[in-house]
Order: sequence, then structure tokens, then C-alpha cells
Amino acid sequence: MRRHSRRIFNICYRFTGNRTESQDLSQDVFLRVYRTLGSYRSAHGGFATWMTSVTRNLLIDHYRRTKRDRVTDSLDDKMPLVENKESAGRRPDEQALLGELSGQVQSALTKLSPELREAVILRDLQQLEYSEIQQVLAVPEGTVKSRINRGRIELARILQQMGVRPS
Amino acid sequence: MNWTCEQTEARLSDYLDGLLQPVEQSAFNLHVNTCERCAPLVAAVARTLGGLYAMEPVEPPAELENAILTATLGAPSWRNLRRWLKSLQSPRFVYSMASLAATLIVILAASGFSFSKPKLAELRPATIYRNADRKAHLVYAQSAKFVSDLRVVYEIQTRLNENEQNPATREQAVPQNFPDKQPGRTDNTNPSAPKQQNRADEIGRSLRVLASQFPVFSGSVGERRMP
Repeated sequence: MRRHSRRIFNICYRFTGNRTESQDLSQDVFLRVYRTLGSYRSAHGGFATWMTSVTRNLLIDHYRRTKRDRVTDSLDDKMPLVENKESAGRRPDEQALLGELSGQVQSALTKLSPELREAVILRDLQQLEYSEIQQVLAVPEGTVKSRINRGRIELARILQQMGVRPS
Repeated sequence: MNWTCEQTEARLSDYLDGLLQPVEQSAFNLHVNTCERCAPLVAAVARTLGGLYAMEPVEPPAELENAILTATLGAPSWRNLRRWLKSLQSPRFVYSMASLAATLIVILAASGFSFSKPKLAELRPATIYRNADRKAHLVYAQSAKFVSDLRVVYEIQTRLNENEQNPATREQAVPQNFPDKQPGRTDNTNPSAPKQQNRADEIGRSLRVLASQFPVFSGSVGERRMP
């Protein structure tokens, strides 16, 4: 459960950019998975893909529900990012730079349209295959590739507008 | 191969993921190296992709797991109770309880407990012990008798088998002379072979004639046939 909760929380956080909302959404995801476990069919894909699909649906619902209240500026609730143990070997200055860049990319991600954002998160942050993303988003593979491509270009433009230049 | 700015933008991810054909790759490179619009775009997207890959997983809050468990399975106390109840469904526990129940039923049945008309007095330890002791003795006596009967039957069976396997022994065991019976007859009253019986009767008649003609033989024949 720890592995799944960590993965789901990361998807939610990268999509919303808010830790509190991500925690609530992760709980909702597990609650929905727990209640609809009977509807899961292994023939339609792996369990992780199914969970990701449930997460994506909840994120889109949440996005639509909070559209009016959303402030288009930074949605980060100023909670510091807690890096995992793999980053322990880096020098403090590198760590600080990486943390800063990570925060900027995260901020740019939240400015992407939800369609492009979810595609980029699933492909470039969750490292899912095109076929898995196709299952999660329930769209043809050509659409998946197009969204990922447009998402990357749009993200690069947003970062340029923010004056961020990832090395 | 002619390559346009629109193609560069449309196939940018394929280029970055290394999915372009060699011909497309060279056309792409040729165009990007000479296009003032596409070169910075490709570089910016490549850097963005590097930035995305450099983002490390965010550590979820420590209380997330407990919050998920509470949301799905309920509060910790109820969760523990549910876990305990679920453990009762394990095959090991079910087998243990089944064997325990079977043992109790056997003990109660052995002690003479009536399941159709149960009485509280029959459940007293002293009563159970006394009844069980009596039953045990009865069962032991019946078992001993059964084993003894079984032994006798086995012995008879063994003897019969031995006789069937060794006919010589069987013939030796049968007496040679039967004074009360006619020659050639077996123990059964009905002769199994009529011809043999007729021959025996004929021999008997001849002996009687000889005895009457030769008195010398009358003693021995008379001794044998007519004492």
C-alpha cells in the first residue's frame, strides 16, 4: 500500500501543486478503489493502471469543481518539498538548485491545461508507456502522443515566460 | 527530404525520444541547424524535459497511510477488531475449531450425553467421567469379544485353506472305514456318481457270495462288513 499511496500522492501533487489537496485526493482515490474493487478486471490492464485511471478521473472532477475558486497564480501552499532518500548524496548547493528548479517546473506544470498536464505527468514524471497512458486517458495513441508533444512545448514556453532556464 | 517548421514542432517529441527514422533524423537536424525559429524551441523543450526528469518523487505526509486506512477500513480500534475477526476466517482457525468441536462431540457421546434431550446434570464433570468410564469398559469388553471371535474365525479359515492346498493331508484325515455306510458312498446320502455306486453294490454282493461259498473268508469279511 505504501508504494501505491506514494505514487498516487505524487500524481495528485504534480497535478494540483498542493500538498493538502493531494492528501485529500489520495484518500479519495483509495476510498473509491476500495468501494469499486469489484469492478476491476485484470483483462483490461494492470491494477496500477486502473488505479491511475481512477486517480485521473478524480483529478479531472476536482479540477472542474474548483475551477471557479482557483487562483491562476501559484497554487503551492508553501509547504517545503521533502525529497526522498535518493537525493541524500547531493551537495547542499546542488540540492538547493534542484529544489528551486523543481518548484519552478512544478509551478509551470500547474499552468498547463489539464489535458496536456496529465499527459506530461504520466509520461515524463510517472514514466508510463504510451499504451498505458492510452488506457488511463481512454483516448487513441495518436492523441496521447500529440498531447505529450504539445504539453512539453507549452511547458517550455511557460518556463521561458517565467524566466526559468533549466540547465 | 524537405523539412518544415510545422513538422519540427509536430515531431519534436519523436526526435527527443529517438523515434525518428534515419532519413527523418538527418532532415530534422539539417532544418533545425539552419532555422532561427526552431533551434531555440528544440533546445528549450530538451531543457524542459531534462528538468522534468530531474524532478524527484515527493515524499507524502507521514499521516497519509493512516488517513487512507481510516477512510477505507475505519478508525484504528474498529480496524483492529475487523482484522481480528478476519483472522477468524483463516483456514487454520476453522480446522482447529472443527477438530475441537468433533472432540467435544465424541467425548459427550461417549459419556452418554443425550443430544435430543440434553440435561444439565449430565454435563457435570463427575457424571461425564463416570459415564465415560462405564462406556469405555463396555467398549473394551465388546472389542475384546469381537477380537476373540475374529481370531476363531481366522483359525477356521486357515485350517480350511490348508486342507484345500494339501489334498493328501485331507485324505489322510478322512477315516478309511465307515462300517455304517455302503462302500463307494461319501458322507452325503445322495451318491454323486451312480455308476460308482452300482459298482460298489456289486462288489458288496460278490463278497457276500464269496463268504457264503468259502467259510474261511466269512470271518474276515464278516468282521469287515457285518460285525
